[in-house]
Amino acid sequence: MSIFQMPTNAIKLMTLLFNGVLVSLQIFFLTLLFSLPLGLLTALGRMSSHKWISYPIRLYILIMRGTPLLLQLIFFYFAPFYMLPPGFRFSLPRFTAAIIAFSLNYAAYFAEIYRGGIESIPVGQYEAAAVLGFTRTQTFFKIILPQVVKRILPPISNEVITLVKDTALVQILGISELFRVAKNESSRIFSTTPLFAAGMFYLFLNWIVTKVFEKAEKKLSYYR
Amino acid sequence: MQILKVENLYKSFAGSGEVVTDVSFEINEGEVIAVIGPSGSGKSTLLRCLTLLERINHGTIKVAGETMVETTPQGRVVYASEEQLRKIRLRLGMVFQNFNLFPHFSVMRNITEAPIYVRGLSPAEAREEAEKLLAKIGLTDKADAYPYQLSGGQSQRVAIARALAMKPDILFFDEPTSALDPELTGEVLKVIRQLAAERMTMLVVTHEMAFARDVADRVIFMDKGQVVEEGTAEQIFGGPENERTRNFLRNFNANHKLD
Ligand SMILES: Nc1ncnc2c1ncn2[C@@H]1O[C@H](COP(=O)(O)OP(=O)(O)O)[C@@H](O)[C@H]1O
Ligand SMILES: [Mg+2]
Repeated sequence: MSIFQMPTNAIKLMTLLFNGVLVSLQIFFLTLLFSLPLGLLTALGRMSSHKWISYPIRLYILIMRGTPLLLQLIFFYFAPFYMLPPGFRFSLPRFTAAIIAFSLNYAAYFAEIYRGGIESIPVGQYEAAAVLGFTRTQTFFKIILPQVVKRILPPISNEVITLVKDTALVQILGISELFRVAKNESSRIFSTTPLFAAGMFYLFLNWIVTKVFEKAEKKLSYYR
Repeated sequence: MQILKVENLYKSFAGSGEVVTDVSFEINEGEVIAVIGPSGSGKSTLLRCLTLLERINHGTIKVAGETMVETTPQGRVVYASEEQLRKIRLRLGMVFQNFNLFPHFSVMRNITEAPIYVRGLSPAEAREEAEKLLAKIGLTDKADAYPYQLSGGQSQRVAIARALAMKPDILFFDEPTSALDPELTGEVLKVIRQLAAERMTMLVVTHEMAFARDVADRVIFMDKGQVVEEGTAEQIFGGPENERTRNFLRNFNANHKLD
């Protein structure tokens, strides 16, 4: 049963999968929206000279990177109910729990990438800026961060590519993203075609991600 | 007018102990001071203390009569308020051994960024001043270049222009030619000579003895964190009184005849 022989079925399948893609894309973009800035704050906290800031953040990074994201999804979905005393219990909507888990998890990875980037900037850049009279905030946003962005684009693109594929994990919470839709359809019509098509969707999305990062890297290649 | 007054300055590091020991000297407006001495004698550390890149352990520093830092009779080191320090910082310029240009800014923006965002000039004013400075250092045609496209000598000249754009009262140089190929030192020294002729107040740490001898009004010889000898260029290079100064200059001359 090939999709080429059954155009109407093919269109049905594509529509179905496309709805799943939209859910996956929502998770993808919301996660980036929250985790990229949160990761920067986390990196700054991680580099703080105050141990009461940096130590808890190290623990947070350790837990987020050291346990399965799948487990974290389940945790954020069930924790507000099971870990709070009776009377305070509540459940998060599945989608919200997924976004929280993903954002916190990816922020931890991004934080370490930011930190690597920030620490790779020569101390002379800070010193030149200080002697010129720039404030610390000006120094960070004008001098340091733009150089960091250029250096961390390749590792960030790795994470973003992984994120596209990781969105499939939210099916554990019963969210109908691309992979779950494809898997269900696959069982229903007893064919691997939907799964294969889903694979093509992921590949296509990551082709776009790759192109976007190539473009960004090219744009920042005006200096060394 | 007195631009800089340093009294009994001490600086130590956790790892290396005392690096600057009881240094005192003054610089008047329009003077050029050369600081010479063996590597590791604390010259860079001294400059970093004077430009607020390091905090001192004891002593007094005054810039144009304003107290940057002083030490109470009880030995407590007291720096001026952040606001005061910001004002004092504007009077100080620094040129680093390895330039420290901002690689993501064009030459023009390297020079104009601080005047615009720190001094508060309009972009047009800053540009106009930068163009004059570029003409002065002979790099008008490099305004739109990026630092990676410059030679070491050109980079250092841009770094000098960047410092001058802040209109400092005194300019510090930490071995401005040490990172350069020998054939490129001349163009940088020429710019510094030109500034000296214009009576720019400068403190130059250097290993270029011929240059120090020509340009400096006074020479300070440092060894092991101390000012061993201070005098006019003729005194220090012509007939140093201290044994350590004589040894340093003798060794220096011997080494430099060999290569
Ligand atoms: N940040 C630092 N921490 C520890 N020791 C330092 C630091 N900076 C400089 N020193 C030490 O101080 C001494 C003087 O260094 P420096 O001022 O760079 O000398 P110079 O510029 O005359 O060569 C050296 O022994 C150096 O190792
Ligand atoms: Mg030095």
